[in-house]
Amino acid sequence: MRDSIKNAVSAILFTIIIFGFSVGNIISPDIDISLSERRALAQAPKFTINALLNGDFFNELEEYTLDQFVLRDRFRDLKAFMAFGLLRQKDNNRIYIVNGNISKLEYPLNEKSVLNAADKISGIYNKYLANINAGYAIIPDKNFFLAPDNGYLAIDYGKMSEIMDENMANVKYIDIFESLSIDDYYRTDIHWSQDRLIGLADKILAGMGNSKKASEIDYVQKALYPFYGAYYGQAAVKIDPDTLIYLTNAALENARVFDHYYKEYGSIYEPDLFYGIDPYDVFLSGQKPLVTVENPESTTNKGLLLFKDSFGNSIAPLLLAGYSKITLVDLRLVSSDALDEFIDFSEYQDALFLYCTQTLNNSYSLR
Amino acid sequence: MVFSSINFLYYFLPVVFLLYFTVPSRAKNLVLLVSSLFFYFYGEPVYLILMIAVSFSGYLHGLWINRAKDGRYAKLSLISSLFFGLAPLLYFKYTDFLIKNINFIFGLNIPALNLDLPIGISFYSFQILSYTIDVYKGNAKVQKSFVNFAAYVSLFPQLIAGPIVRYTAVESELVCRTHSFRDFAYGINRFIIGLSKKVIMANSLGELVDIMARSNEKAVLLYWLKAIPFMLQVYYDFSGYSDMAIGLGRIFGFCFPENFNYPFISKSITEFWRRWHISLGTWFKDYVYIPLGGNRNGTGKWLRNIFLVWFLTGFWHGAEWNFILWGLYFAIFLSVEKLFLLKVLDKTPAFLRHIYTLFFTLISFVLFNGNGLSECFHNFRGMFGFLDISFAGAETIYYLKSYSVTLLIAAIGSTPLPKTLVTKIKDNKTASIVLNIFEPLVQASLLLLVTAYLIDGSFNPFLYFRF
Repeated sequence: MRDSIKNAVSAILFTIIIFGFSVGNIISPDIDISLSERRALAQAPKFTINALLNGDFFNELEEYTLDQFVLRDRFRDLKAFMAFGLLRQKDNNRIYIVNGNISKLEYPLNEKSVLNAADKISGIYNKYLANINAGYAIIPDKNFFLAPDNGYLAIDYGKMSEIMDENMANVKYIDIFESLSIDDYYRTDIHWSQDRLIGLADKILAGMGNSKKASEIDYVQKALYPFYGAYYGQAAVKIDPDTLIYLTNAALENARVFDHYYKEYGSIYEPDLFYGIDPYDVFLSGQKPLVTVENPESTTNKGLLLFKDSFGNSIAPLLLAGYSKITLVDLRLVSSDALDEFIDFSEYQDALFLYCTQTLNNSYSLR
Repeated sequence: MVFSSINFLYYFLPVVFLLYFTVPSRAKNLVLLVSSLFFYFYGEPVYLILMIAVSFSGYLHGLWINRAKDGRYAKLSLISSLFFGLAPLLYFKYTDFLIKNINFIFGLNIPALNLDLPIGISFYSFQILSYTIDVYKGNAKVQKSFVNFAAYVSLFPQLIAGPIVRYTAVESELVCRTHSFRDFAYGINRFIIGLSKKVIMANSLGELVDIMARSNEKAVLLYWLKAIPFMLQVYYDFSGYSDMAIGLGRIFGFCFPENFNYPFISKSITEFWRRWHISLGTWFKDYVYIPLGGNRNGTGKWLRNIFLVWFLTGFWHGAEWNFILWGLYFAIFLSVEKLFLLKVLDKTPAFLRHIYTLFFTLISFVLFNGNGLSECFHNFRGMFGFLDISFAGAETIYYLKSYSVTLLIAAIGSTPLPKTLVTKIKDNKTASIVLNIFEPLVQASLLLLVTAYLIDGSFNPFLYFRF
């Protein structure tokens, strides 16, 4: 190819790209939500003279054009390919992949945050739970299984447990680290898979001094596919989706779920939410400040207060084997100071604090 | 607005191209002026007025100097132009530094003004000064068209981070310039190379520097892993910006001067500064060092001139003591090299000279990067094992591994090796044809890759914005 032809091809290609995407961006309709990133995308900014002069308009315009760029997800794929494939980076935006399993770096250990979580739990115990049988368990995140053996950074889990142990004198510890393996978690998501938790539910029930077992209950597996977890969109790498399996039976289907915030009843499983922004919302409709699940077929009168993050939503239906009702409290959404406005603590015999290591390491969202 | 943004690449640039290449020649400077003003307004709505005022001042002073010819008024006009040219720069950039030091020395508590530094003021102030000085010295003809003069000052390709384009360099092109497919293609190639250097390399290196800076780990290797990538980051950031400016300039028919010439292959500090930020070095040489007498009036005055120029060079980079120290650090090396060290180096094996230059350049960038003198010295102590810390920790090793390919590419890319390779391939006729087929495809791929990086992340500031 002669230089003159090369020059012409260069100029034409460049022009096609910048004009093509420019026109493409203008004519393509705006998208409200990115399902892969699980977030609302920026919309066209409002024009005001004030916003123009103080720079806000152009800043918002920048966010808008970035978010609404055509083929946005494909461009993110390309960047991930460059980072992982060509530059051989071990992680891309802190996301890493080991044998098709996606995880996110959680490093370093934030001792102050863990201490803050321990103080928060102790405070709740002292204020509300002095006469209640209380326990806590720490859910290891996926890094616990994936990071150390594959050359990724991992927090000092022993130190985390130690801090919790030293600062939670009246709340007994239920060690579940050894009861889990990486296979118990979704490959594309942060969470554990409910169908793998029956043994763990038994262990927690036993740890709480409850003689009932989830393993003695008959469940029917229901599968939802394809399940693209939270990490899938962040990784921007093609990986086979998971199957979201939930365990149900007549008792669970008939169980009543009361949302204290919206004052309305719902179901334990909401399969329709599988097709929303976060398919994990299938379990107890996702993040809610305060919900109570009542088991109509329970053979006990025991009540459990479950202080939890999102992991708790999928294990709560299995813990229902040992309780007539479970109230799930998400301290990221409701203040611990206001709990007695919603909860009559005399109705509960047990309280369980069940938090993932990532929540403890970033605990300042616990209110 | 920055070049490495979606809005510049996919909205601003297409519109400017469309307007610029469809209007007749006599209206092209007006298109450049209006688009440059919008470009500036986008990033600095309020300071646009300042830039127009400073441009108008430079324009009027040029006319006055020209009208006064060689008389007393010409000198007065020149002094006035220096005052009005430098006053905004001194006010916005150095007032708080002055207040801070007065407070420190006299124990006062004068509140800082906390002014935002107008983007590019250090660059466009120097360009305007070069114009009035050159008109005074008779090296440049006066520009009677305000549109042409304002287009020169505000020309968006080089407005915010150089290179410092002297008026004489584009004097004739402002009036009459040609456009060709060849120049357009050259400009595109240069622009995309610069864009890739900035977005893919500089930003990735910047991420590493940022991670190391935020790490709580205490390890000797961590301090080195902060220093070396930073040095490379500044090179890729700044030279990438210069490449983009030169490329865009060529597209619009301007030949801007080169600003970098593989500085890290230098075998002395003297050579390094002939290859690094060339337009700034030559500006200070021609407008400060030579007028002060250069090396013509004995060793004492020569040393004074060197130290003064490098004090100003450091101070130009930032209103902090570490920048001044950075400039004086180079003054010491340049003096010592000129006095005797260059002769010693000439007899030293080349690889040792490279190590010498790289090592002391690296040290200079630690000084450059420090947030105050105490942090600089803390970093030095960390690098050389005076902090009683381990050699390496888990985090440092992890990120060293993770960024090893990036660092390797960055190191090789900062040498002429890739260019030499391409030149050698072009010597072979068949290989040259293949290369010509691939070149446009590589350019297009890089442009798409840059777009992917921009969409994926928001880590995108230009380091030289603060200057």
